[in-house]
Amino acid sequence: MNVNRRGFIKLTAAGLAASGMGALGFGHVGEALASSVRAFKLAAAKETRNTCTYCSVACGILIYSMGDRAKNAHSNIIHIEGDPDHPVNRGTLCPKGSALLDIVHAPTRLTAPRYRAAGAGEFKEVSWDFALDRIARLMKDDRDKNFIAKNKEGVTVNRWTSVGMLAASASSSETAFLTWKVARSLGMVVFDNQARV
Amino acid sequence: MKQGGAPSTGKWQGSATGGVTSPDAVVLPDPRARFAATAARLASLAPGNPMEDWLSFMARLALAQQQAVEAVWDILGATPATVDQAIDARMPPLAADGHRRDPAWRMALVRILYEIEAGPLPARARAVTAELRAAGPAAIEALAEHFLRGDVGIEEAGPALYVAAALQVYFTTLAAKLPAGKLRPLEQPGLCPCCGSTPSAGLVTATGKTPGIRYLHCSLCSTAWVHVRATCITCEDTRSVALEGIEGDTGLVKAETCNACHTYSKVIYQKQDMKADPYADDLASLGIDILVAEAGWSRHAPNPLLLVA
Repeated sequence: MNVNRRGFIKLTAAGLAASGMGALGFGHVGEALASSVRAFKLAAAKETRNTCTYCSVACGILIYSMGDRAKNAHSNIIHIEGDPDHPVNRGTLCPKGSALLDIVHAPTRLTAPRYRAAGAGEFKEVSWDFALDRIARLMKDDRDKNFIAKNKEGVTVNRWTSVGMLAASASSSETAFLTWKVARSLGMVVFDNQARV
Repeated sequence: MKQGGAPSTGKWQGSATGGVTSPDAVVLPDPRARFAATAARLASLAPGNPMEDWLSFMARLALAQQQAVEAVWDILGATPATVDQAIDARMPPLAADGHRRDPAWRMALVRILYEIEAGPLPARARAVTAELRAAGPAAIEALAEHFLRGDVGIEEAGPALYVAAALQVYFTTLAAKLPAGKLRPLEQPGLCPCCGSTPSAGLVTATGKTPGIRYLHCSLCSTAWVHVRATCITCEDTRSVALEGIEGDTGLVKAETCNACHTYSKVIYQKQDMKADPYADDLASLGIDILVAEAGWSRHAPNPLLLVA
């Protein structure tokens, strides 16, 4: 049997006894170590890269969650820090970014769409179907009423200026591309793809 | 500037990026301190550790390595032309398995054996040093070749420790003489840009100009190089890596496991202990290796001072 300084290995008490440790008279050490770790168990944390949700600087962040996502366990975000490898911020974060963990766990955070009917005093929780239908209906009505197909000179412009859209700052290029296509294909011109600070 | 006021005419002083800079890609070792630091850390970690006897012995070995540095200090390194040629070809300039060793490296081995024999040793360890002393240059070169090419017979594991220790001294001293600015990462970013070896462990820094960067520390030539965190050092996978640590401990040492290639490497967090040393803390935290191995992951490579089948 040969040993290799470059191969994958699995450390065991028996393996340690047969290694250089055993050959030099420290064979008992592996056994002592193996019995001392009996009392312990492993805990997994997951490190996930993401982009800060706040502004157009788009700082890289590392999100730590407990629990191994592969095992149906409930993950819980325990810590968020600046990503030291990210070329934009090199591990630094502004005060808002530093407080991201509190946003994640904020009890006031929205988890479902809410609706306040015209004249009503209170928001009430509604389904996504209701919310999307309602938004689509209002957009269609407004667009039908205010769409400008031609300007005064009779040139085709296809503008819809009475509704605007504000999209996310932490979008990927693909998301930004699709957002742009959706907004522009409706003729929407009041449009920003960054939530500015 | 107030509204309507004149802009300042003074010259801008200070850093335009506010101190947010990119890390040095490669940090060459300092042979005058590298082994002494490991020795001091091992000596402080040994008391109370279940591996106390062995860690104390390894502390003495590291101290002997430090004293052996002067034996190889004057060896001229690779010539600038060969270094440039290797870097252009994206090859490690001191390739562990291709580099022609200066026979003077055996002076480091002689010095290490001398220092180790001066103190208390288990009978078997003393027999191994005597055996190495009696061995001729050809046998020692053969053993060095076996070690560097990754083919050490299990019966050679004892003497291979001292040879590995001497080769660490030799390669560390040579690596320190390389031109740091010219070195580039290899295509396989988990391998040392100086000698192409696997790292001992990763150290996530907490001080310096780029805190939070993970440096991998070479197991042979002690060079440190940047490796992006939360990325498997063996297969570059990012989706399935997780950090396994012992529940309830300080979180100084964690195993970065990868479910794509089923290996792990250790990460040491300097934030948890400013005295952490990537070599000493790797040896002192073998308990994590045992637990992680039982959970099914293989270590990316052994520590050269603890070759395990």
